[in-house]
Amino acid sequence: MFAPEPNCKPHLAAGCRWAESTPDPNANERTLLFPEGAIKVEGTGRAILELCDGESTVMQITQELQAEFEAADPVRIQTEVLTFLQQLHEQRVVDY
Amino acid sequence: MHSSLVPLALIAELTHRCPLHCVYCSNPLKMQRASSEISTEDWSRVFHEAARLGTLHAHLTGGEPLARADLQGLIASAHHAGLYTNLITSGIGLSEQRLESLIAAGLEHIQLSFQDSQVAGANEISGTRSHEHKVKIAQMIKRLQSQSALAFTMNVVVHRQNMDRLPEIIALAEELRPDTLEIANVQYYGWALRNRDALLPTRQQLEQAQHTVSSAQERLRGRMRIDYVAPDYYARYPKACMGGWGRRLLLIDPKGDVLPCHAAGVIPGMKFDNVRERPLQWIWQQSEAFQRYRGEEWMQEPCRSCERREIDFGGCRCQALLLAGDASATDPACFLSPRHSLIEEQLLRINSGGDMSENAAPDRNPTIEPADAWQYRTNPGESLASR
Repeated sequence: MFAPEPNCKPHLAAGCRWAESTPDPNANERTLLFPEGAIKVEGTGRAILELCDGESTVMQITQELQAEFEAADPVRIQTEVLTFLQQLHEQRVVDY
Repeated sequence: MHSSLVPLALIAELTHRCPLHCVYCSNPLKMQRASSEISTEDWSRVFHEAARLGTLHAHLTGGEPLARADLQGLIASAHHAGLYTNLITSGIGLSEQRLESLIAAGLEHIQLSFQDSQVAGANEISGTRSHEHKVKIAQMIKRLQSQSALAFTMNVVVHRQNMDRLPEIIALAEELRPDTLEIANVQYYGWALRNRDALLPTRQQLEQAQHTVSSAQERLRGRMRIDYVAPDYYARYPKACMGGWGRRLLLIDPKGDVLPCHAAGVIPGMKFDNVRERPLQWIWQQSEAFQRYRGEEWMQEPCRSCERREIDFGGCRCQALLLAGDASATDPACFLSPRHSLIEEQLLRINSGGDMSENAAPDRNPTIEPADAWQYRTNPGESLASR
């Protein structure tokens, strides 16, 4: 199991993109499409994925989320970001 | 009443024409001719109707979808409708220029099939000399991938004849570098059911395959994803076929009939509505074919009172028909099925007679010599024949 390096810049993997619009009126949720399926994300999951723009480093993404959710434990946020990115990388949704 | 169900993916069986003759083809035994195929405009309208229903993916398949001269326009219209476009292909008929035009039209994912790691085995299964050409196509996809966001999956169907070469198949994938390698066991309908005696793997082969796949998944983690589809004949519970009848997927065949799955045509008395005559929404929500095995009313025991009935939906209706002769019976693949012996007998036959896993070659098979006895898939208009 490899956690992402703090300085690498995650981006959506080849063949992954956001659905343009979803018939679901729930505005908190966005759908990410990939070759054989789709995932619906909201909250921190959505926030992390939206920051996977190929520009921000893992460290910057973590800091941004720590600033946004300042009431939450920063260590927990860091762990959450690393675990989530690692899972998405293994699923070929995110690449570096 | 089923308006909450959304057909998340549309399988567009664009044509039954194909340059390959794979012995496990998922097309029906009776194929539709080119002259009955629906038009570019029909497909375009259907893609837009599907998108309005909430469909996310269009899986363009065949036969060989490249046999449609208007494929670029079909991809463009699916893309324009907002659907994620996936091309499922043998690669035969694909040039670099054509692939460039398909990507420009909005192609997002290409799934290229391989039949084996080596020429002889691959060509025997496909009934054509296609393997070396596929390797070149894969290299071409990799070249174009560097200039686009196209995703690339390599698909290999595995069975008794090639399963022992799984390490070599994975090595070929490492050389060709797809994003995903899909290793799928044969599913026994139509052509594959005819060739089942020669295709069904042994238990020992499967155990070895599981081990090979797991260690490759671990080794290639983060570099190449490996998906593995296990055979339901060896499972304890049946597969949730198509995610449940009329729950998540719909298939449109070359002439525009809308089916709940590839094989539904085998069920006697099924009537399929056509996109040229009815709106897709009506067909999905109200047509008899889609209503027939939705929900639980149709279920018999042991499904009716089973706590897994919302997990696997009683398994596959077509397999229940093909094996047990009753499409509303429990899928015989389930160990709780009163007809499970139909599966066990097959497994016993394949697994008896010594250690066949090391000698999976056709000449060591006691009952059949596949090289002479394969039932190859035909093309539309051809009569059934062994080659």
